[in-house]
Amino acid sequence: MSESYGGQGAEGKARERASRLPEELRALGRSLDAPGAGGSESMVERVLEQILTERLPVPVAHAPGPGERLRAVRRWTRMRWRSLAATLCGLLAVLALTPPVRAAVLDWFDFGGVEVRYDPSAVPSPGAEVPGCGRSVSLAQAERRAGFEPLVPSALGAPDVVTVTAEPRGRTLVSLCWRERGDTIRLDEYPARLDIGFTKSVREQPEWLSLDGDSSELGGAHDTALWFPRPHLLSFWLVDAAGSHYTREQRTAGPTLLWMQGSGVLDAPDVTLRLEGVASKARAVEIAKSLGEPGHEDAGKSSD
Amino acid sequence: MIARVRAGDPEAYAELVRAHTGLAMRAAAALGAGADAEDVVQQAFVKAYCGLGRFKEGSAFKPWFMSIVANETRNTVRTAARQRTLAGREAAFAEAEPLIPEAGDPAVAAVEIERRAALGSALDKLSEEHRLVVTYRYLLEMDESETAQALGWPRGTVKSRLNRALRKLGKLLPDFEPREGGDERE
Repeated sequence: MSESYGGQGAEGKARERASRLPEELRALGRSLDAPGAGGSESMVERVLEQILTERLPVPVAHAPGPGERLRAVRRWTRMRWRSLAATLCGLLAVLALTPPVRAAVLDWFDFGGVEVRYDPSAVPSPGAEVPGCGRSVSLAQAERRAGFEPLVPSALGAPDVVTVTAEPRGRTLVSLCWRERGDTIRLDEYPARLDIGFTKSVREQPEWLSLDGDSSELGGAHDTALWFPRPHLLSFWLVDAAGSHYTREQRTAGPTLLWMQGSGVLDAPDVTLRLEGVASKARAVEIAKSLGEPGHEDAGKSSD
Repeated sequence: MIARVRAGDPEAYAELVRAHTGLAMRAAAALGAGADAEDVVQQAFVKAYCGLGRFKEGSAFKPWFMSIVANETRNTVRTAARQRTLAGREAAFAEAEPLIPEAGDPAVAAVEIERRAALGSALDKLSEEHRLVVTYRYLLEMDESETAQALGWPRGTVKSRLNRALRKLGKLLPDFEPREGGDERE
């Protein structure tokens, strides 16, 4: 009980609750039905009466005309929009993140809290440096303050510094830092929600990656990552010196990997992660993948 | 049946109305029609009748009709103040009769009513897409392909949004353990 892991008990309970939810919702639906039957007969009367009094013509089937066909195409496009977007996003170098599409992409991948903005005029300053994390707390303290268990990639090992920062709307940001050959590697984590915590202004499109190696299933929300290979402008929240007001800060960020880690368990929050300070894409992906490896969450794994 | 309606047989349409009134009323209530539910459903049946010419022979009537009910509800709700209907919807969830009337134990009924109100208000906090998919699939007990037809989405989309919506719903709900099992989370 030294570490406050949810352990098997909490996970089992969450799963049990997940399986119960559909049944509860069905019961909720049935509870809405009017108690007395016979409602349908009076509805029949009302409907037929209206049809008669308004002298509505008997509906006749008509073959689809050209207008109808156009509508059908439009409907098809609307229906397939997301899968279309998925197929095209490799090609959509510029289009992918123009505003309307961006909204769809954000929603689709659920990259909670990060907005990616295509802005050719956003010129990053040279010599981006990854800021360190500041004063450290222990992982257990961070978990208590942030309300979720910080994810530690086993590829990097125990972090040198762990900090927790308060953000607007009650969100907390956990940052882990490692020193490596004089450079800083920084991993920002927070529960995924849609209010924007970070905004990235990019001049070049990020690259879509699939973390489980199978790029055919881009729809899977939790194995997709965005790789920003070049320095870009990053704006984010900071508390001002008085400790009360939040201000938007902007700095240049180097190569960054952005992805989400879903627990797959109802009830446990998805976490959005931002890894900065690793210049090699392959290494960044390797680090991201190592989050799911045993070493820090064996309690959860053993029950599967 | 549709062919009979198109041939001008009013009894055929009466039968369609009879078969779908219950579910349509449930849909209108779940989507927030409140006291207007009956009018909304009546209007939906009349619109469906008018639109039957465009209905594709051989496809299912239920999902097609449910999407008309949803549209009609949305149009009605839009005119009323949103806040009011949300409150009304929560009230509808809370006031509806407990499904299994556990007459002997008012405490059980109270917990059930509370839980249902919590579910209702959690539903209201979902995005429109998520709320719709949960409503069709579970509150209206339609299967996945009916839900896909009613919403005009591919099945994969229904599946993934449903998953996501359930997860969100789970997070929005307060921890609820029906009294047995006193263990708490830390």
